[in-house]
Amino acid sequence: MDNGMEGMLDTYLFETNSLLDRLDEMLVADEKIGDFSTDDVNEIFRIMHTIKGSSAMMEFSPLAEIAHHIEDMFFYIRDKGIDSLDPEHKKELFNLMFRSEDFLRGQVEKVESGEALDTDIDSFAADINNFLKKISGTPAEEAAQDASSGGDASQASVSVMEHLPDDKEAVCFLHIFLEEGIGMENLRAYMIINAVQECGIDLRYYPEHMETDSSTAASIIEEGFFMAFTSEDDANAAANVLRSQNYIRSYELAAVPEQEPEAQAPVQEAQAPSDARQPVPASPQKPAPAPQKPAPAKQSAAPPVKQNLISVSLLRLDSLQNIVGEIVITESMVTSAPELNQLSRDAYDNFMKSARQLRKLTDDLQDISMSLRMVPVSGVFQKMSRIVRDMKQKLNKDVHLTLIGEDTEIDKTIVDSIQDPIMHMVRNAMDHGIEDTPAERIALGKNPQGEIILSATHTSSEVVITIADDGKGMDPEKLLAKAKEKGLLVKPESEYSVKEALGLVMLPGFSTNQEVTEFSGRGVGMDVVKKNVEAVGGVVSLTSEYGKGTTFTMKIPLTMAIVDGMKVTVGSSIFTIPISNIRQSLKVLPGDVIRDENGNEMLELMDSFYPVVRLHEFYNIDTEVTELSDGIVMWVETSDRSFCLFVDELVGEQQVVVKPFPAFLNYFELKNSGIGGCTILGDGNISIILDIQSLHAAALENA
Amino acid sequence: MSEQLNNQEDIQEVTEVDADDVSTIERCLTFESAGMILYISTNNVIEIINNHSITILPLMPPYIKGIINLRGQILPVMDIQQRMGKGPTESSCIIVLDIDSVSLGIIVDSVRQVMDIDLKNVRPIPLKNQQKLLNGMVTMEDGTVFMSIDCQALAVPQ
Repeated sequence: MDNGMEGMLDTYLFETNSLLDRLDEMLVADEKIGDFSTDDVNEIFRIMHTIKGSSAMMEFSPLAEIAHHIEDMFFYIRDKGIDSLDPEHKKELFNLMFRSEDFLRGQVEKVESGEALDTDIDSFAADINNFLKKISGTPAEEAAQDASSGGDASQASVSVMEHLPDDKEAVCFLHIFLEEGIGMENLRAYMIINAVQECGIDLRYYPEHMETDSSTAASIIEEGFFMAFTSEDDANAAANVLRSQNYIRSYELAAVPEQEPEAQAPVQEAQAPSDARQPVPASPQKPAPAPQKPAPAKQSAAPPVKQNLISVSLLRLDSLQNIVGEIVITESMVTSAPELNQLSRDAYDNFMKSARQLRKLTDDLQDISMSLRMVPVSGVFQKMSRIVRDMKQKLNKDVHLTLIGEDTEIDKTIVDSIQDPIMHMVRNAMDHGIEDTPAERIALGKNPQGEIILSATHTSSEVVITIADDGKGMDPEKLLAKAKEKGLLVKPESEYSVKEALGLVMLPGFSTNQEVTEFSGRGVGMDVVKKNVEAVGGVVSLTSEYGKGTTFTMKIPLTMAIVDGMKVTVGSSIFTIPISNIRQSLKVLPGDVIRDENGNEMLELMDSFYPVVRLHEFYNIDTEVTELSDGIVMWVETSDRSFCLFVDELVGEQQVVVKPFPAFLNYFELKNSGIGGCTILGDGNISIILDIQSLHAAALENA
Repeated sequence: MSEQLNNQEDIQEVTEVDADDVSTIERCLTFESAGMILYISTNNVIEIINNHSITILPLMPPYIKGIINLRGQILPVMDIQQRMGKGPTESSCIIVLDIDSVSLGIIVDSVRQVMDIDLKNVRPIPLKNQQKLLNGMVTMEDGTVFMSIDCQALAVPQ
């Protein structure tokens, strides 16, 4: 593979993987209703066609061949209509398709990791062909012939080629020349042909087999290549497509040489391709109607809507995000510069007017740059459908997976890092959670069909993903016994609360399943899940009721958020409290404070009492402001908790970019001391952003 | 510090080893802390900064001094003298290190110079149990003893 292929390989992998994802999505959805829709049959056909084409182009012949066989099969199905298959066949078709998808994925993975591809694909190909024979009931030869035409030499031998490629059905030809010196001309030409075919235009092309036979490159360089059309309209449509393609030097439209003079020019040039081909022993085929091509294109599906998508490297998005963050900070630096006070009144008003405009623009910029990184979780959820489906069959359990909130959008990096944890928990739920037999469930008065609910929701600052099953649940006693056996207990058994006992499953080396199964039970499970989720700043928790089921909850912060914050000082430190958490700031008179028997302070606000946390005491910061009446009390709240924070002074409001702490500090679990992150202020100083939720937990719940 | 690393003669003068055995020679930054002269490979050193304002992080062990803003990057800063169980360092000299892509600043009393040290001459510290941060010592020609800081240990909080 030469250098020119490298960049193409990336594109190929990206494309093929997205196509396989799309295929997976369709298969899972279709299997639920037990039938393929006509649209999906067309879509699968198109996907296979594309994979075949691009794989052949990249010379990954096993991929190309299998995709080709599937394409053949779906061509037949599309031709006859999906309804011609009986349910038994459909079921078989689903299994075959899932196997095919796995095979293709496996091969693509090998391509990705640079391993050699499987060459022994005959038996799998035969499976596909046998199935095709079965559903078609046609004589075996026909199917075999159909199938063998993939990359092999065509058996058709056509009489000596005349001027234009010999194509009896063709009415029109497009004769195309590529730019000089672009390299891999045969593949580029094939890409152009593919592009035209994808627009639903029926065509044949010459030299044939250019996608697999690199020796055709020479003739394409010198003599260009041909597309043959059965109608002039098609040819004109194709010419339109060509205009948007790269690397084309020129093309001309030529009718079939009924009137000799008109076709003279292309004719002369067409002479050579055949000459060029002849000395090549590996490709004895003469131009002939490609046997696998014409029919598919004839009744081509509605032209697919071209998606206006590009793939961008995450690194670039990261730097965009950083720069936008810096712009936001710089903007507030400029607009709050003390020098502004020296401006005359008019000048100042003018300045502020422009500043507001700038603020609006930067806000928009910020929103857009944030949304760029957001992708729906549906991709991950879809994979879970597949896993549940496979495990259902292997474990012989009847389980229904319910997906909620698939459209929830999450930062791309988070999606990547939560996929494995979710997969693991779903597997656990299938393997250990749901009862082994429906009878067991009926005996417990449950629906014989088990249920796993996978849901994703957004709160203002977090994404909450839950995986709930209605299976056996966990027995705290059993967990404790197991932990004891493994020597994982750190205090006497009797001192463990139910919550703590459940928490034991997150310890490294803990696995309750006696047997290691294909899917789970190696004891490297939940602790890895916990680690992965914590790596993106999230937390995992679980609740479980013995006999009723288990629920895992992952709470993951939205990364790199830009927060509207209120700056407050305590001693020499500046803290930022997210405005969304602030209910009110107030001055307190000495008489307002109420104390309980331990001397804990409380304030009565709106007819309720709220505890007071003195930030300087909690964080051991030296300050002169120690009387509540001297400082400021911030009344803060999160989802279900509300309390008061005592600080020295309010500084002002500012938008800040949340920066995560360096990895080195993760060890100290800053999250547990109420610190959510930090931010760089306009003057270069660092301000610590408080996490009100965990501050409440740290300062009040554990005290 | 303008000498070239690939200048064989120079290295020979300083360390007196065979010219073909350059691999054991490491270019190191020497500095003073906790009453010792310590050295660390320049491969780990990013830069030296002075008088940088440190933001205190609450509820941290005393040796974690806080974080600094180094051109937009947040760096943790550690007082290695306190890490070794002694009192806080008075100076404001921070050496910024990169240890297996963990960035970290350490506060030291003062920075001395960059010099080549032959790792073959580095001997283990006899009192091993008592030193958590040091992993070797080397005697120079003039009789001064340099201690090697264990980067890996530095990068792992305790």
